[in-house]
Amino acid sequence: MAIRLRFWGVRGSVPCPGPKTVKYGGNTACLELRFGEQERLIIIDAGTGIRELADHVVKKDLPKGPIKTDLFFTHTHWDHIMGFPFFIPMFIPNTELKVFGPVTYEEDTLDKIVGGMLTYRYWPVRMSELAAKIEYFNLKEGTRDLGGGIWLTTKYLNHPILVLGYRFEYQGKVLCTAYDTEPFRNVFDVSPDSPGYDEEAVREGELAAREENEKVARYIQGADILIHDSQYTQQEYLDSKIGWGHSTFEHAVKVAHRAGVKKLFLFHHDPLRSDRELELIEKKLRELIAGRSDLEVYIAREGMEVEI
Amino acid sequence: MEKEQMMKVIKTYISKMPALPVAVSKILQISNDPKTSPVDLNQVISLDPVLMGKVMRLINSAYYSLPNQITSLVRAVIMLGINTVKNLALSTAVLGTLGTAKDFQALNMEGFWRHSISVGVAAKMIATRRKIEQKLREEYFVAGLLHDIGKIPLNNRLPKEYVSAISFTDREHTPLYISEDKTLQVNHTEVGKLIIENWALGAGLTDVVSFHHNISDYSGEHRDLLLTVAAANLFSNTYELGFSGDRYPESLPDEVFKELGINWEYLEEIEDSVSAEIEKAKVFLQVSH
Repeated sequence: MAIRLRFWGVRGSVPCPGPKTVKYGGNTACLELRFGEQERLIIIDAGTGIRELADHVVKKDLPKGPIKTDLFFTHTHWDHIMGFPFFIPMFIPNTELKVFGPVTYEEDTLDKIVGGMLTYRYWPVRMSELAAKIEYFNLKEGTRDLGGGIWLTTKYLNHPILVLGYRFEYQGKVLCTAYDTEPFRNVFDVSPDSPGYDEEAVREGELAAREENEKVARYIQGADILIHDSQYTQQEYLDSKIGWGHSTFEHAVKVAHRAGVKKLFLFHHDPLRSDRELELIEKKLRELIAGRSDLEVYIAREGMEVEI
Repeated sequence: MEKEQMMKVIKTYISKMPALPVAVSKILQISNDPKTSPVDLNQVISLDPVLMGKVMRLINSAYYSLPNQITSLVRAVIMLGINTVKNLALSTAVLGTLGTAKDFQALNMEGFWRHSISVGVAAKMIATRRKIEQKLREEYFVAGLLHDIGKIPLNNRLPKEYVSAISFTDREHTPLYISEDKTLQVNHTEVGKLIIENWALGAGLTDVVSFHHNISDYSGEHRDLLLTVAAANLFSNTYELGFSGDRYPESLPDEVFKELGINWEYLEEIEDSVSAEIEKAKVFLQVSH
């Protein structure tokens, strides 16, 4: 095994426990990655799924020694950070936690945005009272060596705030995230009779959107595992969700197939999406690509594990 | 005032340069509207040299660390999203309230603004006629829009001196940059260069701003952009589309027109379209007299 992935939270926007989400789960985004025989732990996002991951880590890793881990935020929207104060290892002495993520336009640093939840107004323990050693790193686009043979490439995606996609490469295997994101589109392509219509801008916008989408395609190229945003169906997207920063099931399958991805995990389910609907969507998508693509399509589910 | 002291005043001003006041209320209105369309936003930013410069500066800053220089606002909006660009416009506009119409003592604010738009529009038209690659054309507009940006600090921070530079031009029939050198020991191309470098807007814009009155000394790689803006500038001054203080501009060598494949007949042809673009922009911003 080079990389093992486990989903602890697959939901978008807000936690949604209840009878309709028992199968796929109601916790928001949290992924556990394990690398190599050492089972080095890297976590992506601290949605509410991180609470159970924390228990798991305390049981599994703590007996072997102090916990050392890296936590990557794809972005700082609420559903991706709200579980952070429940990550128990940070209350345990000798834990070493490195926190990475993009920053927002306001230029507040990550420690202020994420660590800002650990103040008395939100939480009974303050940042300065934590026993663990926590370091924060602001990320931009680029490639970095995470040590131990793990390489990380980051890519800006398309969402109302800065979002980074993460591409991990280890022992020839590739795992990529592409959420929260929606396809880049030409926002200047308005009706010619609307005020401010500019033909040049329409053409330039067309080119820019195409080039940005090509960059994302190159970024996910050949991934063994791709975890892609699929909050909406194509119909929902076209009806009222354009510009909300999320993709559709159909788009995710299309780009994954084109980029030669092996396993696609559809992720960031809409809070209104029931287990029944997700089952039907999975069935429909698999029928759609049967015999036409080698792509394996899965609906991400809490507790689901995959190794490459 | 000694040159050293003047440069200090100019540099302090550049470090927190406000947006042109003409566009401020429109920017506030557009940026505060949650339903703002990218089309409106693009338009309001495109019409303001300082704001355009600042948006370009942010996009190309270490903050995003993008591998390639972005020279088009349309692309910036698509890449970074409307919120980021809107927030930037809003914060710049707030700073912009520091400068008001009364800061424009020597040059008339609206005249200067019209001149900047005119050179931008004309440069882009020439680029289109020359079949310059689609994705590069917006840089021609930006370069035209920003070419005289060095006049803003001179006009706003050294108004008395700048009035005498413009009077010198009117009296002696000399190009304004020469009058600036004579009365202020510094001209708007040098000041403009400081601004563009401070904003890190790349070599193309730096060269246009620095050399647009001195093309014969230029041997860099942005010759096409530079010549186009120089021609658009001479055209705008000659036809008095807006006013930048340069009533007696130097003519350009015939080779420049030959190289660009244009002549005065062509420029005469586009005069109406350029004027129409300025009027359209003016209606959009509702520039008050």
